[in-house]
Amino acid sequence: MQTDSTELTLLHNRLTSICREMGVAMMKTAYSPVFNEGFDFVCSLFDREGRMIAQAEYNPSMLGAAIYTVEWMLNEIGVECFRQGDVWVHNDPYRGGCHLPEHMLLKPVFHKDELFGFAATIGHIAEIGGKAVGALAGDATEIYQEGLRLPPVKLMDRGEHAMDIWKILMTNHRTPKLTWGDLHAMLGSLHIGESRLIELLEARGLSRTLDETKELMQRAEAWMRREIEAIPDGEYRFEDWMENDGITDEPRRIKVAVSVRGGEIIADFTGTDPQTRGPINATYAVTAAATYNAAFHLTDPQVPRNAGCYRPIKIIAPPGTLVNVQHPAPEIGGNSETHCRIIGVVMGALAQAVPERAAAADGATGCNFLFGGIHPDTGEFYANYHFENVGWGAAANHDGNDAQCAPLAISRNVPVEVFETRYPILVRSLRLLTDSGGAGLFRGGLGTERILEIRAPEMTVSALFDRMRIPPWGLQGGSAGGTTSISIRRAGDSDFRLFTDVFHTVTPSKFSNIIVRQGDLIRIVSSGGGGYGDPFQRPARKVLNDVLDRYVSPQQARNLYGVVLREGEGTLSFDEAPSRTMAGERGAASVNLKA
Amino acid sequence: MAIRVGIDTGGTFTDLVAIDTASSQWYRSKVSSIAGEPLRAIVHALDLAGIDPEQIETLILGTTVGTNALLQRRGARVAYITSKGFEDVPFIQRGNRKFHYDLHWSKPKPFLNRRNCFGIAERVDYRGAVVTPLETQELEALGEELEKLCASGDLQAVAVNLLFSYLNSSHEVAVGKWLEQRFPRLSISLSHQVASIWREYERGITTIADAYLKPLLREFISGIDGGLRRSGFCGGWSLMKSNGGTRLAKEAAHEPVQLLLSGLAGGVMAGKHFGLEAGCDLITLDMGGTSCDLAVITGGHERYAAQFDVEFGLPLIFPTIELTTIGAGGGSIAWVDRGGFLRVGPQSACADPGPACYGQGGVEPTVTDANLLLGRLNPDYFLGGQVRLDPGAAASAVSGLALKMGISKEDAALAIIDMANENMVNAIRVRTVEVGIDPRSYCLVAFGGAGALHASAIARRLKIRRVLIPPHPGLCSAFGALIADLRSDHVATVSLRSTTVHAGELRAHLDRLAAAACKELKEEGVEGKLQVTARLAMRYAGQNYEHEVELPTLDITDPMLRDAFGRFEVLHEKFYGYQLAGEVIDIVNITVSAVDPKQRTLPRFERHATSRPAGLRKLRMRSSGELTVPVHHRDTLPPNWTGVGPMIIEDVDATALIEVEDRVTVLESGSLVIEIAKEQP
Repeated sequence: MQTDSTELTLLHNRLTSICREMGVAMMKTAYSPVFNEGFDFVCSLFDREGRMIAQAEYNPSMLGAAIYTVEWMLNEIGVECFRQGDVWVHNDPYRGGCHLPEHMLLKPVFHKDELFGFAATIGHIAEIGGKAVGALAGDATEIYQEGLRLPPVKLMDRGEHAMDIWKILMTNHRTPKLTWGDLHAMLGSLHIGESRLIELLEARGLSRTLDETKELMQRAEAWMRREIEAIPDGEYRFEDWMENDGITDEPRRIKVAVSVRGGEIIADFTGTDPQTRGPINATYAVTAAATYNAAFHLTDPQVPRNAGCYRPIKIIAPPGTLVNVQHPAPEIGGNSETHCRIIGVVMGALAQAVPERAAAADGATGCNFLFGGIHPDTGEFYANYHFENVGWGAAANHDGNDAQCAPLAISRNVPVEVFETRYPILVRSLRLLTDSGGAGLFRGGLGTERILEIRAPEMTVSALFDRMRIPPWGLQGGSAGGTTSISIRRAGDSDFRLFTDVFHTVTPSKFSNIIVRQGDLIRIVSSGGGGYGDPFQRPARKVLNDVLDRYVSPQQARNLYGVVLREGEGTLSFDEAPSRTMAGERGAASVNLKA
Repeated sequence: MAIRVGIDTGGTFTDLVAIDTASSQWYRSKVSSIAGEPLRAIVHALDLAGIDPEQIETLILGTTVGTNALLQRRGARVAYITSKGFEDVPFIQRGNRKFHYDLHWSKPKPFLNRRNCFGIAERVDYRGAVVTPLETQELEALGEELEKLCASGDLQAVAVNLLFSYLNSSHEVAVGKWLEQRFPRLSISLSHQVASIWREYERGITTIADAYLKPLLREFISGIDGGLRRSGFCGGWSLMKSNGGTRLAKEAAHEPVQLLLSGLAGGVMAGKHFGLEAGCDLITLDMGGTSCDLAVITGGHERYAAQFDVEFGLPLIFPTIELTTIGAGGGSIAWVDRGGFLRVGPQSACADPGPACYGQGGVEPTVTDANLLLGRLNPDYFLGGQVRLDPGAAASAVSGLALKMGISKEDAALAIIDMANENMVNAIRVRTVEVGIDPRSYCLVAFGGAGALHASAIARRLKIRRVLIPPHPGLCSAFGALIADLRSDHVATVSLRSTTVHAGELRAHLDRLAAAACKELKEEGVEGKLQVTARLAMRYAGQNYEHEVELPTLDITDPMLRDAFGRFEVLHEKFYGYQLAGEVIDIVNITVSAVDPKQRTLPRFERHATSRPAGLRKLRMRSSGELTVPVHHRDTLPPNWTGVGPMIIEDVDATALIEVEDRVTVLESGSLVIEIAKEQP
């Protein structure tokens, strides 16, 4: 039945294309930059049993979680309750979701009155009315402070706006206009998905399509199993830390033992610290999504992304821990920050099995910075969720990329000219930060430094950062990457100081609702990637070029790479032999792989 | 002295179409391109067509020289000058990545070294107001740095990109003047001149690309010019621009990024020219050896875009006909991935070694090999017999793939074709969502070497009812260059709101842009009245993507402006199913286009008389298995001739496949129109 194979591939391509069409429609009409610049959304299709049959390449962090969200919704609502023209909305992290801003919209798709499945989108609604503008309060202690929580409810009822729900949304969100626009962009996207799917069903028939999608899932699963079989069997352990939870300034451990047995991966997080009072807790869906993400990075990226490819990957996350939070703890940072760390520990564990495919740690934080207030030009309220790109880790044969979005997402940064046009802030500078890439035979990518000048009488700011003290790890003797920071120089002062010093926040990296004023400068530094391999093995010529291009300072070239540079007649040359025997100050955190 | 010549120099072939406007005689030729020596191929093409260079009045050239230089990083050594604090913007880029799950992807290199990026203290804000004035001592310090670079031979061109220069260019102008005086030998690119739009990375990288290409383009143009003059050519010549217009060669050298999609734009113009005979909206499909390029033409107008990604992460800003490019061409390689799924492209066998059947050492199966194996191509009449195809080589290449899939080589070949078609179908579908049209009411205009073989199957899947194949589909880019108008587009980013803007304010912008566009055409020697049009790109305040609304006149009044806002809302509703009545609308970009509306009446693109008899060939199709079908030579088919598929219509430079029950008719112009019979899911 080999013609079937071609037919199946064609079907897979068509379904994926439908998801892309949904994404295009969403991106073009959405209001929030988090959609149309940040690609912080997902478009996917599900069958009537809630199995994902296709998705398009948008935000990876939500892709893994979507399967849990839909499963929950079908269980809670009951598949028989979906009617043509209904759209259900849901954002509850305690019902299979990732974190509160992530709203799933689910629309049933019928063929001749028979339910085939669902078009689904998840979108990050930027402002949902929690204690901090933009939801990411670094010091929330309950989910009730993080924003409006919706169980699965109807947003559209047989094609009509379910006004009760809309009124509640519009009343509770700080920027209802944006919510309105973004939800409509999502509805438009579902409409495209529904109509394309109906077209496809008219041509192929419902039961044939269901059979074929089942076959596609089986193939994806079989392929993923073969990929995993190629990873040496064994149990690989790794751990890393969240440096605090925003409420008490103590590090929290995330621990994993990844077992590879034949075609299956089991990631067991037993031993991870208990859930915290502060908002860094991950829901099970987040932990699962992060684990999938790590596994996908180390297997063939071409494996079709349907329910099948997730099946060979199992997650054990003990309830009540940082990686499987229980109600009513806060969880907003679990998806943006802890998510990165979970990807990192699973990758770190698997790196021991396949070091050639692995890379040192990326910066692994969003440097989430939230601000809002009244715009002095318009008198209108604005809110923004700002994030930074980070350095990526170096690998066995290349340096890490500078200033990339961490692997949990695929967001673009917002151009300075767009940013300043929207918000009363002047960006003083945006630079790659010299020396922030971990030293190594291959160098980690650089993080960035951004300095913002407040240009409004006052502004409310919140932050949810990590990696301020515990840097991204290097591999095989490579040094750790640079850490993050957020600091402020009050108008009239001469130095930047931490928020703990100026505003007495509990932690320097996680806080909410601090009032800053005209002329204050805020400095945000993002983390660099870890290095790979012994820096003393990096060819001196490359180190020289790193210095000339300001990736590495002459001091670091000497101390970490053992390359002494000499200036003469306007050019730099290097002196390798004597200095390289000198023991440099080596990076603190490096992981050595046995393999 | 009355021959008008259009030439397209592509990576594989150099094509020529020319018309003697006095005698109405057509000339055409197709020769192999010679890497690094475009002039030789041009001279060869003229020679082969039998054109005496002395008789040429005008020559218009489409070229990929700029694009290739960018992709292969063969440009000038560039320094970047920007607002202090933002030196790294070309390296920071936008932070997104090409692949979801790939730790080993490297972000694109921005055409210069970080050490050659310099900041100067100055600042303009989002309203265009100067926050920090530019002081002359800033420039002095910079001068020393640049001098050092000049001394070591590390500098040929300078790109200047200051923040908000699209609102207030005074600092950039000052830096430009200073550079001209201090470094008269350096080529200088200023961002507000190259791409006067917001988004500092996109504007900056475009300015860098401009600087990077300028010396090379200047050399390219003077090389061609010298060579043509030596052969006796004494006419004028121009280059095809990405916007479908032309620009005098000596002027075009100053605006290299405008030329990046030069050849592709020619194809769209030709597709439009012939397609309009079908009298409806068009999707053009230009399928060549390595890629397939799509454009949408609605109401007789091609769409324009402001940006094109030369590779992932390198978005360049220039006015261009809006094109979607996908890696699906005759040379696209078929392969089986690790999961056992068949894939076609994006890798291509290109021209060298080319598909396996070219017999130049290619061993991997390509779309062309599959077409040959299925009997859709004539091995003895590829490019009119200029290239002989080796069916044995095609069969063995496809057999290897078939073995992996566990099917016959014929089934594998059919699968390759299906997959290539589906890739194009999906690209068209995504595109039509992007522009908000329903493809079913469109006519598919297919050309390029491979377009006519695939068009009917693609149309059928999209429920498109009509396919049009222009005469000489393999020469469309050259033909497009021949018929192109002089055209100049000027764009500016503005910050105007529906709640506060008044017509006078808008008119000032329109007048300024119109003056620049008209000046450019006057420089080209255009006399008489120009056709000047304007478009506004708008969006609801807060949205990030715009829709364009055409203005009825540049002399706009307040009621007309209200009407334009109204039309935007209607468009929005049509595209996305809703409008936000009463919501504030932002005007983001203003585009003014000036065109020299010279109407050229072209004689019919006449056929060569030929007596090639109709033949028969065995052909394999998915729907009907192996069939023996008639083969006609296109030159033997008179206007109004009609027939019903299956059949093959061969032409010197392309082959058309008419599928079962589809009806084909020859139009007066020589184009073929295929009425697609019915759906085959």
